[in-house]
Amino acid sequence: MPSSTTDHASRRVIGARAALIWGVIATVLVTVASVGVFLVAPEDADQGVIQRIFYFHVAIALVSLVAFAVACVAGILFLRTRNLRWDDVSVTAVRIGILFSVLVIITGSIWAKASWGTWWVWADPRLVTYLIVVLIYAAYFVLRSSVDDDRRLRFSATYAIVGFVSVPLSFYSVRVAQSFVHPVVFTSGGANMPNSMLIWFLISLAAMLALFIALLEVELVGRRTERALRALTLRLESS
Amino acid sequence: MSTAVNRPRWTRQLAGLIRKDLRLELRTKETVVAMVLFAIVTLTIMQFGFGTRDDDLTRFTGGLMWVTLAFTAVLGVGRSYVAEREQRVLDGILVSPVPRVVLLAAKAIAIVIYMAITELVVIPVVGIFFVKGPYWDSIGWIALVALIANVCIALSGTLFSGLALFTRARDLILPVLFLPALVPVIIAGAGATHAVVGGPHDMSDYRGYCLFLVGYAILFLLVCIATYDAVFDD
Repeated sequence: MPSSTTDHASRRVIGARAALIWGVIATVLVTVASVGVFLVAPEDADQGVIQRIFYFHVAIALVSLVAFAVACVAGILFLRTRNLRWDDVSVTAVRIGILFSVLVIITGSIWAKASWGTWWVWADPRLVTYLIVVLIYAAYFVLRSSVDDDRRLRFSATYAIVGFVSVPLSFYSVRVAQSFVHPVVFTSGGANMPNSMLIWFLISLAAMLALFIALLEVELVGRRTERALRALTLRLESS
Repeated sequence: MSTAVNRPRWTRQLAGLIRKDLRLELRTKETVVAMVLFAIVTLTIMQFGFGTRDDDLTRFTGGLMWVTLAFTAVLGVGRSYVAEREQRVLDGILVSPVPRVVLLAAKAIAIVIYMAITELVVIPVVGIFFVKGPYWDSIGWIALVALIANVCIALSGTLFSGLALFTRARDLILPVLFLPALVPVIIAGAGATHAVVGGPHDMSDYRGYCLFLVGYAILFLLVCIATYDAVFDD
C-alpha cells in the first residue's frame, strides 16, 4: 500500500481533523465570549464587575454536568458493546468533568469572597455538592488505577454510571435544601435576567461546550495514537 | 436420564443466601460486635473532640449520630464480602445459577440487619451521652429515618464493596468510594434527626428528608440492578 494512502487512513482512524476543527471553533467562541462578557455585556447594578464571573461560572458548571453525562452514557455503551472506544470517551469525559468542576469551585469561591466576604460558604448547597461531586469522581481514578485488565474497564464504566447518580442529587439539592445564599438565576419559569445578559451567557455556554468537545477530541486523538503506536510496535517486534 | 435442571426459585435462593450470611455472623460474631464497639468508641471520642465535659451537645446530636453511623457502615460493608472471598465461597456462588440481583438483595438485606442491630445500641446511647432535654419521645421517629437510611446504606454499600473487593488495597479504596456517596444520606439523616431532637419538631422538614432518602434508595436500587452484572461478570 502506498505510504500516502496509509497516512490518510491512519489520520482518519485517529480523527485528528475533527480535533483540529473543534479546536478552531472553541478558540473563536472563547475569544468572542471573553470580549463580550468583559466589554459589551451590561454591568450588574447590585454586584458590579464581579458579577461578570457568573457568565463563566454557570457555563462551566453546566458543561461539567454534560461531561459527566457523556461519561455515564459512554460507560453504558461500553458495558453493552465492550468496545474500547467507549472506555476512552468515558475516562476522558470524567477527566475533563473534574477539571471543569474544580474550576466551578474556584470561580464560585472568588464570587463568594467578593459578594459575601468569605471564600467558602457551607450554607450554599451547590458549592458544597460540587465539592462532593469532585470527591466522587476523584475516586474514579483511584478505583481505575487499583484494578487491572478487563475489570479495570468494567469497573470504570460501572463507576461512571454510579457517579452520575450523584449529579442529579447535586442539582436537586439546590432546590430542595432551600438555599437563601446562592442566587437562583434559572428557575422553572425561565431565566431570571435581561436579554442583553442572556445572549452573552448563551455565547459563554456555547464556548465552554465547544472547549469541552475540543479537549475531548484532543485527548481521544492522543489515546488512539498511543494505541496505534503500541500495535505498530508489536507488529514490528513480531515480524 | 433427564437433563432438566431443577433450579430453586429466586425466593429460596435469596432466603438461603441471607441464612448463610446470618449463620456465619452468629458463629463468628465478628462484624456486628466490632461495629457496635466501634460506634461506642467513636461517640466517646466525639464528646472530647467537640467540647469539654460540661458542654451541651444536644444541637449536634444528629450530626454526631450520623457521622458515627456512616463510619460504622463503612466498617460493616467492608467486611460483607471478606469471609466469602477468603474461604472461596464467592467463587462457588458466582458459578452457581444464582442471578446477580439475588446476590445483591441478599447482601443488602444482611447489611440492613447488621446496621439495625448496631442502631439498637447507638440510638439510645446517643440520647444518654449527648441530649439534655426531651429525647425518648422522638426515638420512634429517629428509628424510622434510620431504617430508611439503612436501605440507602445497604444498596450503595453492596455495590461499592463489590467494586472494592477486587482492587488492590481494598480497605483503603472502599471508604474513598463509599463515603462521598454517603454524604447525602448523612445530610438527610442528620437533618431529620435535628427536626425531631433539639429543635422545634418540624415534621414537614422531617418528611422532606425521609422522602429524599426514599428517592436516594430508589435511584441506587435502579443503578445496582443495572450494573451489578458488570461487577461480577467473571
